[in-house]
Amino acid sequence: MGTGSRRSDRIAGGLLLLLSVGYGLEAGRLQADFLADPLGPRAFPLLLAVSLGVFSLYLIVRPDPDPAWPPAHVLGGQLGMLLSFVVYSYALAPLGFLLATTLEMAWLSRLFGASWRTGLLGGLGLAAALYAIFVFGLGIPLPLGRWWPA
Amino acid sequence: MDVFAQLAHGFEVALAPLNLFLAFAGAFLGTLIGALPGIGPVNGVAILIPIAYALKLPPESALILLAGVYYGAEYGGRISSILLNVPGDAGAVITTLDGYPMAQKGKAGEALALSALSSFIGGTLAVIGLTLFAPYLAEWAIRFGPAEYFALMVFAFTTLASLAGKNPVKALIASVFGLMLATVGIDPGSGVPRFTFGELKLYDGVDFLVVAIGLFAISEVLTLMEHTFLGTATRVKVETALVSMKTFLGSLWTILRSSLIGFFIGVLPGAGASIASAVAYTTEKRLVDRDGTFGTGDPRGVAAPEAANNAASGGAMVPMLTLGVPGSGTTAVLLGALMMFNVTPGPLIFEQRPEIVWGLIASMYIGNVMLLVLNLPLVGWFARILTVPRWFLVPAIASLSFIGVYAVNNSAFDLLFMTGIGVVGYLMRKAGFPLAPVILGLVLGRLMEINLRRALAISGGDYTILYASPLSKVLWALALLSLLFPVIAARFGARRVPEGE
Repeated sequence: MGTGSRRSDRIAGGLLLLLSVGYGLEAGRLQADFLADPLGPRAFPLLLAVSLGVFSLYLIVRPDPDPAWPPAHVLGGQLGMLLSFVVYSYALAPLGFLLATTLEMAWLSRLFGASWRTGLLGGLGLAAALYAIFVFGLGIPLPLGRWWPA
Repeated sequence: MDVFAQLAHGFEVALAPLNLFLAFAGAFLGTLIGALPGIGPVNGVAILIPIAYALKLPPESALILLAGVYYGAEYGGRISSILLNVPGDAGAVITTLDGYPMAQKGKAGEALALSALSSFIGGTLAVIGLTLFAPYLAEWAIRFGPAEYFALMVFAFTTLASLAGKNPVKALIASVFGLMLATVGIDPGSGVPRFTFGELKLYDGVDFLVVAIGLFAISEVLTLMEHTFLGTATRVKVETALVSMKTFLGSLWTILRSSLIGFFIGVLPGAGASIASAVAYTTEKRLVDRDGTFGTGDPRGVAAPEAANNAASGGAMVPMLTLGVPGSGTTAVLLGALMMFNVTPGPLIFEQRPEIVWGLIASMYIGNVMLLVLNLPLVGWFARILTVPRWFLVPAIASLSFIGVYAVNNSAFDLLFMTGIGVVGYLMRKAGFPLAPVILGLVLGRLMEINLRRALAISGGDYTILYASPLSKVLWALALLSLLFPVIAARFGARRVPEGE
């Protein structure tokens, strides 16, 4: 303790300070047409902005030692995962639940060390099981996809 | 009002076929979620909310299911603690200390049986405490004015800040961040849109569900990516889970004491199962560990944390139901779920919606019996679940999170927002910011502001109303004391308890 770098908390503190200033400025612009109570819509957010400002300054002055950030190959895996989440979010409606989830599961399984074959089989199994449970068991509709003959 | 008449009415609700089934489903899923390392009660409850919501369950039924997952997970957490030395969730960390050594000595079955019984006794005593305690607390809390409520919420944040995580300032930042999220949307007092940037989707405020699942489940999946090496159990064999009468009776006082400790720690705002199990273990070590056997596979070292963490999850229901102020991350998620069903817990709920409170309490008696049955004869089956490979388990958690959120709103925007919150949650975890205060802030933010403004409207802008009554003075003093607590504890060399759930 003490000898390591403390950059992480300083960066976090700086970003939080920016957030508190931006949030505070936006709060300061709020105006109500009529005042139903003495405080109005501004006071509570301003209180929050000031608190966050004080706490983040404290964090910059007294930061903790840096945590162990993951090595490059783990970071790569996490990025691959996040990208797939974004693609999945957009692909769910057009591709349909079964296809999108099978592909997503296969990709994630692969990131966790499974082969494409086992990942695809596991993904298909899970997607089919979840579809059955949600649609037939619970009556919660899931998209079939635009390519599905309606 | 007669407590027993109310409880009898609650049993009528809880024994309805649907609710009985949901209590069982909650207990079963809870044990499963607790047993699997990586998903704890918070994630489990958060992932199940959209399903309960999409099914259009009545609020009491949804709460019976979700609460079942919550206390069921405290039962399940011990399984992987004992068999693998990997805690199934935060409340079961301490159970590894004596549970795993017992398993290594070939006494895994005994440890599992004793811990199941301890969980049952702790859980049941906590429900009894809840039954007797909650109505009186609610009756008393009805007299709370807005100033007292505001002070109470500040107290909830300061205790959570001093107990959750290592750095109280980071917990405070997390609290303020959650409160800020709560201010997004139409201001309830004046009708002015705040922090919406003209985005119509944000007029109703930030979606609680999206934040809860993103913050806990998605960040967990990202964290698990780092721990892929943890691996899974290769050989888990538990045929019989039996404990001798002699061992059980030898631990009985430990179980009873730990249940009491757990219940009261659970009632405290901010302190949950993980802190309760740590305090119970250290207390028992001090009281009964004469031969220094704690840590080497002493049955009492398994009984103490398991009785305490189950009692704590029951105790944590007390402030959530009676005051509407949750004490832990999981109860905050439960409270947020109730709000989605347009139910606001608090002292009035005991009069206005008795079927919700008493139905829940009655279902917890039933649920604990079900859990005992699930966790004694069927423990071998749950142990086998631990062999599910990680490459399947983690992606499955991610998929469930996405489908749940999608099922509620059918919106790709929500899925992206959830992913973004997941990244924030992951960075927070890494940098030592606790997540529970964010959820607490998001859930309590509106109420906190409304009460502050109501208090000042009553006084005509005079700030002294905030600490005018004796009760609010006490609450402010307690809040200050809880903030100073880590400083004082460090001064006296007290060791920190593990991170809160």
